Amino acid sequence: MREMFSHCVVNQVKADAKTYLLSGDHGYALFDSLRKEKPDHFINAGVAEQNMVGVAAGLAKLGFYPIIYGLSAFVPVRVLEQIKIDFCYEELPGLFIGDGAGLVYSHLGTSHQSTEDISSLRAVPHIQIYSPSDKFELEYCFNMAMQTKKTVYLRMGKADVGTVHQKTLQTADFAWNMGPLSVVKHSQAKTAYFATGSMVKTAQMLAEAKGYKVDIYSVPFIKPFDNSKYAELLGRYEHVVSFEEHSIYGGLGDCLAAVIANLPKTSLKKIGIEDKFSNKCGTYDYLMVEHGLDLNTLIERL
Amino acid sequence: MSNFAPSNLRKTVLDMAYYGSTVHVPCAFSIIEMVSVLYGKTLNLGKSYDDPNRDFMVLSKGHGVMALYACFKELGWLQDSDIKNYFKDGTKLKGLSDCHVPGLEATSGSLGHGLSVAVGLALGLKFKKSSQKVFCIVGDGESNEGTIWEALLFASHWQLDNLVVIFDCNGYQAMGTTDEVMNLHSFAAKTKAFNFETLEINGHSEKELSEAFETFAKSTSKQPKALVANTIKGYGVSFMEKNNTWHYTRLSNETYAQALKELGY
Repeated sequence: MREMFSHCVVNQVKADAKTYLLSGDHGYALFDSLRKEKPDHFINAGVAEQNMVGVAAGLAKLGFYPIIYGLSAFVPVRVLEQIKIDFCYEELPGLFIGDGAGLVYSHLGTSHQSTEDISSLRAVPHIQIYSPSDKFELEYCFNMAMQTKKTVYLRMGKADVGTVHQKTLQTADFAWNMGPLSVVKHSQAKTAYFATGSMVKTAQMLAEAKGYKVDIYSVPFIKPFDNSKYAELLGRYEHVVSFEEHSIYGGLGDCLAAVIANLPKTSLKKIGIEDKFSNKCGTYDYLMVEHGLDLNTLIERL
Repeated sequence: MSNFAPSNLRKTVLDMAYYGSTVHVPCAFSIIEMVSVLYGKTLNLGKSYDDPNRDFMVLSKGHGVMALYACFKELGWLQDSDIKNYFKDGTKLKGLSDCHVPGLEATSGSLGHGLSVAVGLALGLKFKKSSQKVFCIVGDGESNEGTIWEALLFASHWQLDNLVVIFDCNGYQAMGTTDEVMNLHSFAAKTKAFNFETLEINGHSEKELSEAFETFAKSTSKQPKALVANTIKGYGVSFMEKNNTWHYTRLSNETYAQALKELGY
């Protein structure tokens, strides 16, 4: 997925000379090709993320298109106020990339883990929030950001869990424009899994392991979130389960909960990070167990 | 006819504060001579506030916004009715700098935002190979914010010689003097250490302000420019000068009349 991101950035910079990538001294190998092919369009703003976002806003005001890259613990969480005031209030175009979202930086501890980025941003007007599950969704999300010219946050989580889709996505693949993607479809299923990011793959494996005939959807677009269209879709199911490598507060689960609250026959179970920080050091897989998000734990829970 | 005389601009600020029953008069008064020289003389404003070829003036210390409104009135960007209806329900002018108001280049007041945006504008103008300039007024109290120093580092590293940062050193912030709250010691020593071409002047001398801007304009140095302007908070009305309670005080009929009288009205 990260290779696809690097590829998308280089192509975009080549296609549009007004595009600049700003990084807060992160992405050491990720931007090698950009630095080689378009070195003038790579701005290392130093370990100073807040200033970087203000500078990006100044560039956007002049008609440039900034892509602002950081680890999701810093972009968007550390720079939340700059995104709110400098970008969203003015509706400036720009793409914020939060890399390593969720528990990816497992060994580095809480400072580098990010399980509140979506919920922190969701209440800010004019922001769009994308959370792709694989390289094909990432490519589609990136292109959507280029088209909309809105302020966009693109969350890149665990990137090596394998692809969910088999080929490049088209708008027709989505339930509606910027809606969910059907990953697994049965006839007359009464239960649906809605997952985002790394957890789409887990939700798939869970259903396979249990032999459940459930419909599975990937949700790369967290905001905008068309409540009326989701109501029509969610109302077809008796049970809905949400999966996300993010806090259960304010993430995908709560997007769905706001809709399901008005649906009399649909129940919701939210799977995500409970209200706690990671306790121990360890691998990514270890921490997923600690938070109960690994496949084996979920097989027992569901 | 435009009248950028400091006494006239101060009168507009007083009128707004009186009609709107607002605070923050002294932090507008400390930058009156700066904005008088900038909007009256130094800035190339082009045809109007949205001219793409204009010089940019970013007010980072958003609390001084009434000083800019006073200039915008002289430029015809605001009307008498905007001044008289300040803070009335449903009006557009707020108590801090807001980018939705034509002429205000950034939303500030949450401090430490405007300078970074100004630095981004200066960088973008470099990318465009434009000769346009960016000016930014930063407060000394505002400089408690870490982002100010991030922005100075960035501007220096990128040799943004088209950027003039004006520090309004009025010696006060919300709860006391800058010495009491967070001692800044020598501002000029700091900007020099950040590799800014630095001048230090009396911020209430239009002559010194003009000369400083001319010196910067003629400079061939690649350094960004810093103008350390020593000012008096509340300058121009004796009972407001260096009296920090006026940061939070509203004008009465009596104090409004007395202040106008001191300004010669």
